[in-house]
Amino acid sequence: MQDLEFRKEVLKRAGPEVLTCIQCGTCSASCPTAHLMSPSIRKLIKLCLEGKKEEALKSETIWLCTSCQLCTIRCPRGIRPKAVVAALKDIAESEGIKGKDQAYEELFLKQIKEHGRISELPLSGEFLLCYPQAAVQAMEMGLEMAPRGKIFFEKEKVKGREEVKKIVEELGK
Amino acid sequence: MKLAYFPGCVSKSTGKEMDVSTRAVCSALGIALEELEDWNCCGATHVANELVATGLAARNMAQTDLPIMTSCSICYSNLRSAAQRMEDPEVKGKVNAVLTKKYSGAKVRHALDVIQEALDKNDELIAVPLKDLKVAPYYGCLMTRPRGVDSPEFPTILEKLIKTLKAEPLDFRLKTFCCGGPIFMPQEEAAEDIAYKILEEAKKEGVDVIVTLCPLCHLMLDAKQKAIENKRGEKIGIPVLYVTQLVGIALGLGPEELGLNMNVVSPMPMVERVYERMAEEA
Repeated sequence: MQDLEFRKEVLKRAGPEVLTCIQCGTCSASCPTAHLMSPSIRKLIKLCLEGKKEEALKSETIWLCTSCQLCTIRCPRGIRPKAVVAALKDIAESEGIKGKDQAYEELFLKQIKEHGRISELPLSGEFLLCYPQAAVQAMEMGLEMAPRGKIFFEKEKVKGREEVKKIVEELGK
Repeated sequence: MKLAYFPGCVSKSTGKEMDVSTRAVCSALGIALEELEDWNCCGATHVANELVATGLAARNMAQTDLPIMTSCSICYSNLRSAAQRMEDPEVKGKVNAVLTKKYSGAKVRHALDVIQEALDKNDELIAVPLKDLKVAPYYGCLMTRPRGVDSPEFPTILEKLIKTLKAEPLDFRLKTFCCGGPIFMPQEEAAEDIAYKILEEAKKEGVDVIVTLCPLCHLMLDAKQKAIENKRGEKIGIPVLYVTQLVGIALGLGPEELGLNMNVVSPMPMVERVYERMAEEA
């Protein structure tokens, strides 16, 4: 089913130039995680333009984007595929779509909103509660970091927390 | 020269040696750093809403009138992106409406550029020329993106600095290929796969050291190197230094001042070889 409202939302966030996509595939050919994506980033843009909301939001593609921006600097139409991915993440968030990748981004933003800064250890700890399968890699990292004095237990807080909270809440509306 | 210094969130934990070496090198080069007042997270690569990301970066830039320097290419890219977006009066209006101190423009610099400028003025500060050291210049993605700093895909500014230190920059094919860092927590395998490609290439080229400009690249290539070795059943053993650490070695600063004990793959055998070579030539 075509969802024109969805298409409009993507264009509003990622820019009207997305309409000029010629499906050349430069974005997919540039992507470091393209081999794991289904649909590819090129197809994802097509899904957005066709208003295929469900298909676009349910794929893991948006969560495999590393934000490297190679697609964005190479696109011959000046489209920012990375901004399309960001728009879809933002829409997924407002639709209440849950998952491990979404949980990580949510925890990240929550920490910024509450404290103004990211403290890596508490962030990893909170993520493990949502996704215990990450425990092995977190342990591996911890074993390397701890003896080198690179683990910091406290949560860093900025004085202007209220202002930061306002930035996240007001501008995120 | 006086600059506002934005250390970034990793400076207290996984990127501590980046912060330590940045401060030590700037001090040795006579660059006064004033830590940016009450700085907040730049949003890294995890804030999907562009206006929020712009607001977070703009709050930082509004804290000072001095040029802002950072050693982290993610912070650097985010501040630069925000400065570009704030040129749009509509964006600027919305963002400034929620900021206490209003944004009115900013100059953002990466430590790489600040250091190059200082060494161009006085290269006699190089006490330990890094002769015959084969260095892989690894930019990662965000140092040169968005556009406006060198070529976004084929930059040469890091090679220039490596040459200034008398070391040998290799023609490193994957120098602006992603390390996978931003997705390493929820997508471990995907991230490690691409980090391995970079390490594999460096090993094939026979490099002595990889130099990075970003704490996430550093984490993927250094802190995760052993985990990657174990999974692949292959020894890599290549030290990975922040550019500020490499510069510090050439300035003759000691391992502790540069946090060299904090790197997971020890760079000490490489540093010893540099000193041995210098002694042989003397």
